[in-house]
Amino acid sequence: MSQDLKTSSVAIEGLNDSALKVRLKRNLEIIQNVLENPTTVIGLIIVILMLLMALLAPIITEPNMPDPYQMPRDWKAARSAPLTPGHVLGTTNRGGDVFYGVVWGARTSLKLSLIVVCLTVVVGVTIGSIAGIVGGKVDEILMRVVDVFLSIPELIFALAIAAILGPSFTNIILALVVVFWVKYARIMRAQVIRIKQREYVDAARVMGDSKMQIYLKDILPNSFSPVMVQATLDMGNIVLVGATLSFIGLSEAGIAEWGVLVSEGQAGISAGRWWASTFPGLMVFLWALAFNLVGDGLRDVLDPRTETKR
Amino acid sequence: MTSADKTILSVKNVKKHFPIKEGVFQKIVGHVHAVDGVSFDIKAGETVGLVGESGCGKTTIGRCVAGLEALTEGNIYFDLPSEKIAILENNDSEEGDKVSSEEFQELENSYDIGKIDGDLFNYYRRNCQMVFQDSFASLSPRQLVSDIVSRPLRVHKICPENEVIPRTVNLLEQVGLGAQHLYRFPHQFSGGQRQRISIARALALDPKLIVLDEPTSSLDVSVQAQILNLLHDLQKQRGLAYLFITHNLSVVRHMADKIVVMYLGKVVEAGNTEDIFKNPQHPYTKALLAASPDLETNVTSGTAALDGTIPDPARPPQGCSFRTRCPVAQPECGWEVDDIIRRLEHRDSIFNNLKEVEQPNRYNAEFTFETTDAAIELKSSLQSDDIPAAMSEVMGPLKVNPEKVKVSFKPAQTVPLVKCGNGSIARCVLINK
Ligand SMILES: Nc1ncnc2c1ncn2[C@@H]1O[C@H](COP(=O)(O)OP(=O)(O)OP(=O)(O)O)[C@@H](O)[C@H]1O
Ligand SMILES: [Mg+2]
Repeated sequence: MSQDLKTSSVAIEGLNDSALKVRLKRNLEIIQNVLENPTTVIGLIIVILMLLMALLAPIITEPNMPDPYQMPRDWKAARSAPLTPGHVLGTTNRGGDVFYGVVWGARTSLKLSLIVVCLTVVVGVTIGSIAGIVGGKVDEILMRVVDVFLSIPELIFALAIAAILGPSFTNIILALVVVFWVKYARIMRAQVIRIKQREYVDAARVMGDSKMQIYLKDILPNSFSPVMVQATLDMGNIVLVGATLSFIGLSEAGIAEWGVLVSEGQAGISAGRWWASTFPGLMVFLWALAFNLVGDGLRDVLDPRTETKR
Repeated sequence: MTSADKTILSVKNVKKHFPIKEGVFQKIVGHVHAVDGVSFDIKAGETVGLVGESGCGKTTIGRCVAGLEALTEGNIYFDLPSEKIAILENNDSEEGDKVSSEEFQELENSYDIGKIDGDLFNYYRRNCQMVFQDSFASLSPRQLVSDIVSRPLRVHKICPENEVIPRTVNLLEQVGLGAQHLYRFPHQFSGGQRQRISIARALALDPKLIVLDEPTSSLDVSVQAQILNLLHDLQKQRGLAYLFITHNLSVVRHMADKIVVMYLGKVVEAGNTEDIFKNPQHPYTKALLAASPDLETNVTSGTAALDGTIPDPARPPQGCSFRTRCPVAQPECGWEVDDIIRRLEHRDSIFNNLKEVEQPNRYNAEFTFETTDAAIELKSSLQSDDIPAAMSEVMGPLKVNPEKVKVSFKPAQTVPLVKCGNGSIARCVLINK
């Protein structure tokens, strides 16, 4: 090492900053900004409670063996009202414990939304990136497909696909993936087209970095904020649409899923047994609301365009 | 020939035309002639200043030189050995032995930045860097200074990984920053500091040539001077060559050894800085100098300021493109039918009544109007002071036939770049006249 480099090395040792520390600090700052909005905080608290419920489900309630995602059936206690010993939120017509359904339904919802969001983000971001980077005919064809998908209302589209595939929870996942990837493709394409003409991309080209590295280091990280916002919103929307499909009967009967539970409790509503539908219905509402509040809060901080509009 | 005289970059007849697309089907309806046949050389260690008004194609040339744009036509050669330059010049000249096309092909394949690949291209990449105008836009907001400045070192594997950060600090020190700035984001710096970061990044590969696109125009005046001095010092220490793009003439006088003056995508004058400042030849250069504040007194002299609008670069004037604004325009400047439109297009009473134009070439046209009044008005305008005397002189007799007006111009030669008395070259019909 030359003398110059040695003195530089000494200068580095004197630093008490590191890349990791600075990045963490920056992320904390962003989180702080997000937390300045009280409605976002409310949303975030509900989200955290929901996630805790989902993660701690086996501790909160005794898992129903062998498959804890199946509702336990206590036929003797069927149609109990809330606050019955052993059934805090009452039971359904068929002896399903509503509290168990509410708790394990959170776990089911988390599973559903995480799987669908991950798959749709990967598919959408890949297709959007290809369209934005390659351009030309490829872009035209891909975006025509996206337009067709976007022209059909989400719920009806998901319903049609799930109905074709046949009733099962896995098919609901598939149907939701087919419906929800398009938005990411659209968002990502617009972002890539915007970011690829930034001067820092030119600077990377001038220093001779490869196309793939430029995509990974410059285009992707700088395009990702709106994708993240949409993913947060979709964590809520997917559960809403998923529960609707289950309610209609496109899922397996008897699983611990909010939509299924609402549907199971529906028969008792006219007889005044409101609880079997109300509690899981309320959960779907809270889940979707909470993720939408957090998503909106993220958008205000990450995407300055809407910030200036306000 | 000493090594200091070595030509590092040869730009030969470069054209860059951008398509203009319209409608849902993005049909190409024309081309912006951003750069339209530009040639110049840069020698090792020297600064060539590229000046001209906004939109004349300076940035586009810079981007072409940095390899960011595919050329429409022409060649850019990097680090051409001097004996090969002779081959090129031979090829350009009209008489003498033409080099065989194979020899020329081989030259292109090993030195033309649009043709080379592999190691040859890597060599060019390492040795030609660029600093952009907007220091904010040219640094990724999500990367730390340490990532930004070290990136070229990692891309080209200049040094072992454990030396990357010390070297990065070293580069920062060379531009007046230090280790304490390593782990910060670009937005945590002032404009001047950000431009220093860009310069450090450009220096990382120890290049021979740096394209500087208005590196100081977005900075405060006091900071401008600091950055210019830094660039000056770095050039002395490292023997760097600069292509210095600016519209600020006092900056270019301070920095450049040679100047290339551009107008509408073409070179109108080029030569040594002092020669051009002391004795400008082209009317455009004269007007530019007159319009810029005097270096000593800081006041603009009122003579021959630039007025009028710049013609549409999608349909640039043939001949001398400056004639539409030139205070000393001549009949030989290349007047054409488009000049009538450029002059009179604001006259709604004429052009709102235009039915069709039949224009077999640039010099002849037949305008057909809805009303005879409009035709008569055009005729009288063309015979009035609305038209410069030099233009009237080459305009053929007007034929008016109730609602038709037929005009014609004497076809003109293209205006070449010629050597002037003071050693610079300029593109004007008045030179040597
Ligand atoms: N990517 C592009 N697509 C279409 N037209 C372009 C593109 N880049 C530049 N142009 C056009 O080419 C012409 C020259 O632009 P350029 O940016 O090179 O000018 P400039 O001399 O750098 O101007 P300024 O001083 O404003 O920076 C302009 O008319 C511009 O509109
Ligand atoms: Mg420019």
